[in-house]
Amino acid sequence: MKKLLFSLFLGLLAFQAAAEVRVVATVPNMGMLARAIGGDAVQVTVLAPPDRDAHYLEARPSMMAALRRADLLVAVGAELEVGWLPAALQGAHNPRVRPGRSGYFEGAAQVSLIQVGGAADRALGDVHPAGNPHYYFDPLRMAEVGHALARRLGEFDPANADRFEANAERFAERAREEVERWRSQADGAPGAVFYHKDADYLTELLDVPLLGYLEPLPGIPPTARHLRELVSTLRGREGVIIHADFQPAEGAEFLARELGWTAQQFPNQVAIDGDKGDYFALVQRWVEAFTN
Amino acid sequence: MKHLMLWAMAGIFFASAATADEPSIGELMRKIEALEEREQERQARIDRLEAELAAERDRQEREPRREREPATTPAPSSMVGTGPQRDPLDPVPARQRAAPAATGEVTSGTAFNPAISVILDTTYAHFSSEVEEPPGFDFGHGHGHGHGHGGHGHGISEGFNLREAEITFTGTIDPYFDMMVMASVTSSDIELEEAFITTRALPAGLQVKAGKFLSDVGYINKQHIHDWFFVDQPWMRELMFGDEGLSEVGVQLSWLAPTTTYTRFGIEVLEGNSAGIANFEGGGRHEMVTVLPGANNEPQRNRWRADKNLRDRDGPRLFTGFVKWAPDLGFDHAIQLGAFGGYGRVWQNEAGHSSGRLETWDGNSEFIGGDFVYKYSRGGVMGHGNFVLQAEYVYRRIDAEYQSRQFTDFSTLTLTGPANDPDIRNQNWRQDAFYTQGVYGFAPRWNAGLRIDGVGLTNRAFDDGRDTLGRRGMLDDLGASWRYSGQITYAPTEFSRLRGQISYNDYDDGHSAWQFMLQFNMSLGVHGAHAF
Repeated sequence: MKKLLFSLFLGLLAFQAAAEVRVVATVPNMGMLARAIGGDAVQVTVLAPPDRDAHYLEARPSMMAALRRADLLVAVGAELEVGWLPAALQGAHNPRVRPGRSGYFEGAAQVSLIQVGGAADRALGDVHPAGNPHYYFDPLRMAEVGHALARRLGEFDPANADRFEANAERFAERAREEVERWRSQADGAPGAVFYHKDADYLTELLDVPLLGYLEPLPGIPPTARHLRELVSTLRGREGVIIHADFQPAEGAEFLARELGWTAQQFPNQVAIDGDKGDYFALVQRWVEAFTN
Repeated sequence: MKHLMLWAMAGIFFASAATADEPSIGELMRKIEALEEREQERQARIDRLEAELAAERDRQEREPRREREPATTPAPSSMVGTGPQRDPLDPVPARQRAAPAATGEVTSGTAFNPAISVILDTTYAHFSSEVEEPPGFDFGHGHGHGHGHGGHGHGISEGFNLREAEITFTGTIDPYFDMMVMASVTSSDIELEEAFITTRALPAGLQVKAGKFLSDVGYINKQHIHDWFFVDQPWMRELMFGDEGLSEVGVQLSWLAPTTTYTRFGIEVLEGNSAGIANFEGGGRHEMVTVLPGANNEPQRNRWRADKNLRDRDGPRLFTGFVKWAPDLGFDHAIQLGAFGGYGRVWQNEAGHSSGRLETWDGNSEFIGGDFVYKYSRGGVMGHGNFVLQAEYVYRRIDAEYQSRQFTDFSTLTLTGPANDPDIRNQNWRQDAFYTQGVYGFAPRWNAGLRIDGVGLTNRAFDDGRDTLGRRGMLDDLGASWRYSGQITYAPTEFSRLRGQISYNDYDDGHSAWQFMLQFNMSLGVHGAHAF
């Protein structure tokens, strides 16, 4: 009997060692990264669908159920998910993935952010004084996050640590190549107007002039007055208008009509099970749109 | 087993002794192999470090002007296994992990201060005629005395009303506890609406909440004014539990099952003071002061004092339990179903009259109910296209012993009624309440909703005494009262909302009233994310 128990125990240990790391990613782009680094040693669940604005989700019970069973939470961070992730974590009853624990991984804490330290004043809209959280449009920063994620995954699964690091390096290599290519591709791009501050990292990376936002203030939908102002300042210039699929098209279309520019709409997250290739293809579509 | 271990130990001893004496060729070969392996490992490590160094150099070249904070360069590998002793309180070693900031979050919250928010709620109301408690639901409310909790309530009176400024502090105490304190400030009063701690680090999906909190029974009970879709709360919450819902001091233990579908169980042990379900008067004496003519017709002050004959039970007096279940319906749809119940071991009430008569009730109570929420999220701009449907039902029973007594001298209360059939008898109530409401975001920033309140679908009061014709057992079977409400809300951002509401009250006694209400509700500061 005791022998049986002992072998059962050994079996359990072996099973535990072989088990995949259960990763919960807040948005599909982070899920993509977790899969790219973890490969088949991780099992990834994504909380938010790609066609939703990650600022404005609601904590749902299914998120809590997923977090309850998670080993590692991979978030964008910098308060992008502040409207729902804390509530989901509170309801998840899982101390391992709380901020401060090894099961909490926030990409924003691994890279330097831009637009840090703005006034924490909501008269300025839905501001992020901790920095712009949309760094996932910068593949080089994503590669840095990838390296950090590889180290963290290695803590959960030391046997695969080298593999994770190799995967992170492969991702970083690909990112360097793509960015190199995009830089020459976007060279001389006339500039772009976006809906929200969600492509700022990309324009900075590729030195593309950022001509304005359709939102008068972050989180405030376009107003007629603001659009007219944009038209008057941008008239006579060359440029393109790009916005994400979940952002309404009316303002973009109005501006395009008035200025004679093209307005284009793309996803800003990969599909729910998207991989590395999908991610680079996604960013590439935005890059191509700069010179379109 | 002991033998086995002895033999094993002996085996190990002899084996090691043997190898120490005379290493065989095989042994040496193995050692060499091991050394080679180690060398390979070392080479791989060097390669890896070189790759990392190259990546680091590349990164620094790419952004030389950017400051790199120490917090952004985690070194978790050196942390593994070097932490302090395992803490029995801390199954997931928080201290060991606390050092590298890379597990932290980037936040604008100020260092150690709790998050603070102030929510201001102001209403304007006009009623076509008096708004009253539905028939059968006026006790525990109507006798405006002796309840010891003259709270601000959430009732709405006519004219302009600053309902409350809700001041909330939330934060993390230490690795083991979170705290939330919510004070409701009105122009005349400050009251702690909630003040509780929750555990952060309990294993196995357990969580404990302790302090003063809104019970987790049902769906809307736990919500504050700010979360309601209507200006006022459903009758169910107000009449079955209390003006502020089931809000009690106590302890809650809940468990989230490790299943793919959300399943949460909880039990609560509560003090028991809520007017609707656990009204408590306590023991002690009933007092009355009169001024009567003295011997020379001068006014003389008299103090009447006698035991109330109510049980003086210490808490906990109320016990509840709940279960919530929510299947995963994808990203657009969410459903949560709940069932709950509770037992109040003391339910008391008293009514003193200026004639010197005292009526008392002393008994217990029980409730049981269910709740349903469905949410559809279309992903439109500012709530456009979202839909919420929710419904709840509660059934309540109260069984109490009724006594009617009269002061016969300054210190004696004597039962009223004929000597062979004094006024002491059992009374009980069987009542229920439900509401259902739907809210639809018909445009960005706008939503509109309809709500139906029904109370007293079951509304029986039974008294086992004799009626005027001498028959035993009096049954008072009242009907249901209904309220129909419609609201329209404009929310410029998630932090501000303006709302108009019209309600039509259709009481069982034939009385009816229209209510017209306007509300603004504004949230300033760092307000925590909303639970489902």
